[in-house]
Amino acid sequence: MIRLENVYKNFGTLEVLKDINLTVEKGETVCVIGPSGSGKSTLLRSLNHLETITSGRILIDNELIYDIKNGKAVLRSTQNRISEVCSEMGMVFQQFNLFPHMTVLENIMLAPRVVKREAVQQTREYAMHLLDKVGLKDKWDVHPSKLSGGQQQRVAIARALANRPKIMLFDEPTSALDPELVSEVLEVMSSLAKEGMTMLVVTHEMGFAKEVANRVIFMDNGEIIEENTPENLFNKPEKDRTKAFLSKII
Amino acid sequence: MSDRMVRIIQILADSFLTLLEAGIKFTVPLTILSFIIGVAIAFTVAIVRVLEIKPLEGIVRFYVWIIRGTPLLVQLFIIFYGLPSIGVTLDALLSAVIGFSLSVGAYSSEIIRAAILSVPKGQWEAAHALGMSKVQALRHVILPQAIKVAIPPLSNSFISLVKDTSLAAAITVTEMFQVAQQITARTYEPLWLYTEAALIYLTFCSGLGVLQSRMEARFGRHLAR
Repeated sequence: MIRLENVYKNFGTLEVLKDINLTVEKGETVCVIGPSGSGKSTLLRSLNHLETITSGRILIDNELIYDIKNGKAVLRSTQNRISEVCSEMGMVFQQFNLFPHMTVLENIMLAPRVVKREAVQQTREYAMHLLDKVGLKDKWDVHPSKLSGGQQQRVAIARALANRPKIMLFDEPTSALDPELVSEVLEVMSSLAKEGMTMLVVTHEMGFAKEVANRVIFMDNGEIIEENTPENLFNKPEKDRTKAFLSKII
Repeated sequence: MSDRMVRIIQILADSFLTLLEAGIKFTVPLTILSFIIGVAIAFTVAIVRVLEIKPLEGIVRFYVWIIRGTPLLVQLFIIFYGLPSIGVTLDALLSAVIGFSLSVGAYSSEIIRAAILSVPKGQWEAAHALGMSKVQALRHVILPQAIKVAIPPLSNSFISLVKDTSLAAAITVTEMFQVAQQITARTYEPLWLYTEAALIYLTFCSGLGVLQSRMEARFGRHLAR
């Protein structure tokens, strides 16, 4: 479903991603863990063009979307194509990024209406269904400023699902939440995973990774150090850097 | 009461309606028309700059640079007194509207641009991640939030414009200040007459200040943190 081949990303002289090779199969939940600055978020964001890679290839659903050599696009995807690709993926941000001037329902309905030009009735029904799914049906008419962090993030998940994406990307979805609000968001993410959504999750929540992930990837300094099932990676880490990181957090 | 005081009160009473009439006939329409046109120009300029629309961006930056770097009075003189010598003769009121609109357009474009830039980057990113184009993001997500931020400085511009319209007197528009000058020429009471005119301007501007507060409250309803 997602494949990165030899992906590099530089910010000037700073190498943020070094030779990333990664595959996420359909229906898999893959968690990316690692220290700050390891490039995890950059990796995620390069999938929907929030970051542009310096070289490498990215394939989504077996279609080559980005093919760059030395900063020049071999395949130049048009703005329209990139928008299409984005609407097939959903992204959930650490800071939620809900639209404050709209109600919860309007937040969720905006993209399907504006991007996919869905009919109002159909969009509203599906939006209410998604709200119900994340447990916030009665908040449809409320503005984000009146919700707790956990509630806002759940709305953000519903909003990302409104486009009926094939892939969900999560960029540290619980890092900005008060501890007692974290579990309500992780629960929604777990049930999404169980339903078979293809998910790539950058997170510090090791418990979630252990329970829900098919695979865990450890990144440090722009490189993928180790990649394995949760049991193997957490209990029998192979590389020293992995061991060092895990010893500090568990 | 002295004769002089009686005479002054008589002059003030007689002139009040004349001044007010000039204000309503010229000052107010000139302000409103120039502001509407100016803000339309400003929006266009701001969006061209924010979206970095290539060939237009240079033109638009040149325009802002010229207008901000030259005095409004000089601009009005160039339009009204200068253009006829290259065959473009515009009447006084039209010259005033053009001059004020271009001025409002340049200054307000910076206000709107700053307001757009003040919307957090995460809003653009969320819109992009949902598949929206930049134009769609601007229209549905960014501009509605930018408007709230733009209201105080734009109101300020509007209130300033009310007073700047007095410059139109210099290019023969018989707006309120010009009328005050004419009455002073007849009656020789500059202090009282100009103060009277100033008070009428003050009343207009105070009313606009109240309007501004109400607009801020209305647009800022859901954005309080």
